[in-house]
Amino acid sequence: MSPMQKKIRWLHVNLFAKPADALLTLVVVPLLLWAVWAFLSWALTAADWSVVFNSLKVLMTGTFPSSKLWLVWIVAGMIAALAGLATSASIPFGRTAAVIAVLCYLVLVLAIFGAAHIAPQALLVLAAFHAAWLIGLRVPVLRENLAPIAFGTLIAVLVILSPVGPSNWGGLLLSILITLTAALLTIPLGILLAFGRQSKIASLRALCTGYIEVMRSVPLILVVFCIWVAFPLVLPKFPIPDVVRGLIGFTLFYSAYAAEFIRSGLQSVAKGQTEAAESLGLSDFDLKRIVILPQALRVAVPGLVGNILDIFNYAPLVFIIGLTDFLRAGQMILANPENSARTYEIYVFMFLTYFVVGSIITFQARRLEQKLNKGVRK
Amino acid sequence: MKAAQGEPIVQINQLNKFYGNFHVLKEVDLTVTRGEVLVIVGASGSGKSTLIRCVNGLEEYQSGTLEVDGFLMPRAEEREFGEVKGLREIRRGVGMVFQQFNLFPHMTVLQNITLGPMRVRRKSRAEAEENAMRLLDRVGLRDQALKYPGALSGGQQQRVAIARSLAMEPHLMLFDEPTSALDPEMVGEVLDVMRELAREGMTMMIVTHEMGFAREVGDRVIYVDQGRITESGTPAEFFDNPKNERTRTFLSRVLKH
Repeated sequence: MSPMQKKIRWLHVNLFAKPADALLTLVVVPLLLWAVWAFLSWALTAADWSVVFNSLKVLMTGTFPSSKLWLVWIVAGMIAALAGLATSASIPFGRTAAVIAVLCYLVLVLAIFGAAHIAPQALLVLAAFHAAWLIGLRVPVLRENLAPIAFGTLIAVLVILSPVGPSNWGGLLLSILITLTAALLTIPLGILLAFGRQSKIASLRALCTGYIEVMRSVPLILVVFCIWVAFPLVLPKFPIPDVVRGLIGFTLFYSAYAAEFIRSGLQSVAKGQTEAAESLGLSDFDLKRIVILPQALRVAVPGLVGNILDIFNYAPLVFIIGLTDFLRAGQMILANPENSARTYEIYVFMFLTYFVVGSIITFQARRLEQKLNKGVRK
Repeated sequence: MKAAQGEPIVQINQLNKFYGNFHVLKEVDLTVTRGEVLVIVGASGSGKSTLIRCVNGLEEYQSGTLEVDGFLMPRAEEREFGEVKGLREIRRGVGMVFQQFNLFPHMTVLQNITLGPMRVRRKSRAEAEENAMRLLDRVGLRDQALKYPGALSGGQQQRVAIARSLAMEPHLMLFDEPTSALDPEMVGEVLDVMRELAREGMTMMIVTHEMGFAREVGDRVIYVDQGRITESGTPAEFFDNPKNERTRTFLSRVLKH
């Protein structure tokens, strides 16, 4: 078959196999083309993207003091490096990745002429990502110890940003900090809750079950709000910043969901595994830590990643306790009468940002899942 | 064939086990001496697997006594109140091989074998790995050390499982239908390893349906019927001249094909 024939055959099979398919294709494809054309013609001619460009600082960091923005760049580099290392655990650096990397660097180099105040820093952040990816591929010790490295990075990030004061954290920075913190803390908490729910000690079991069920039956926004209100009542002497209270609310809420994903993972581990480990004389702790938990987490990964995506996508709800995350920052920009005509530009930009981050998370999760399943059959 | 002799390693006295109201094991008396190969046969559901699972505490028993290596296995009630000392001591000296192999799928063959020695016996990695390679040699799988269990055939997995148990240097090996989940062409390789173990003097309790193997390797064969040991004798006595009517019926069924 010639390449041309192959293409025709592909079209035939995928788009025109049956009369109904052909009809659907003839309706859907022109509609899609029209939508794309309409969007592009608006985006390239009518739209004025300077509003996004001029508000980048607010969108990305909220009220973060401009003189301290270099701290944010350092943090961005660290998070990028962490993401690169995480990528190296499941994705080799192939030709597609190289092409995408070169394109990104080209765009950023060209951008230096138009936006010299941010393009070089962005270039370095991207370089941190790629460097960590490549180093992770060559040094297995690093990517195998991703969890402690991630915790170390999180602590370092919070320490670096703390002099500025949590009340000044905002924009996409805040959304990512909430996601990173909650994602990292919910997993160990979820593990403890899941084991607690299966414990032989009745009081512990009741406590964990109760906690999980209560958290799962109330709305996130209520938990975040309650935590925010409760802290000053319980600890009037120690004022805790709004951001920290928000982080605690998200962590407490989503650890219940993480616990349920991990519990379903624990239940999927065959009973024979426990029996074999017991027969070897392993202690209960070793049995759970070395034999059961790694197998359970493999099963729980898709759910846990979905959880992280949920945290990211629900982070805008922190506006209820007065915080300015990415979405809220966009609305604040639009509240300025000068920008009132630029609603679409801002929302399209936020839409694309959420879409890009979200799809990167799901793409990596899928690759991780494939890798975990490979070579491991019970 | 060597004679069954020496001091007792397992002493079971008037053991009773219940699943709820169901009386699984009834007043079982059994002694296994060091170096003995005891084969346990019986119909499915007779309690033979339950019996050997009691010996390393995977199943609890309600009354009677069970002593292994001089340690008394705590009863179900004692275990409920956290009495596990005897259990822990017994498990350190008893290896178990399962019908479904139960290798740890997320660890390599080598990691499967070194886990117990390193975590329980506190051996160094180097020592544990050296010993593991020796054991893999013995079961003919030296070149598979770095593979994951999923990449091995059933017979190979079961041989790794045997090596994993042997790595703990047990005084007694329990085999719970070790060849029942295997394709027919792989049964032989596992039985060969077990035969070799018996020749070296390992004390073994084997639940199996391989009657030829039982006759050849066993020092003693017992028949379990509805939770009781109803027949016990040397392979010759057991297979050629069974005393009990039900044993005879069972043998006529399993030996016919």
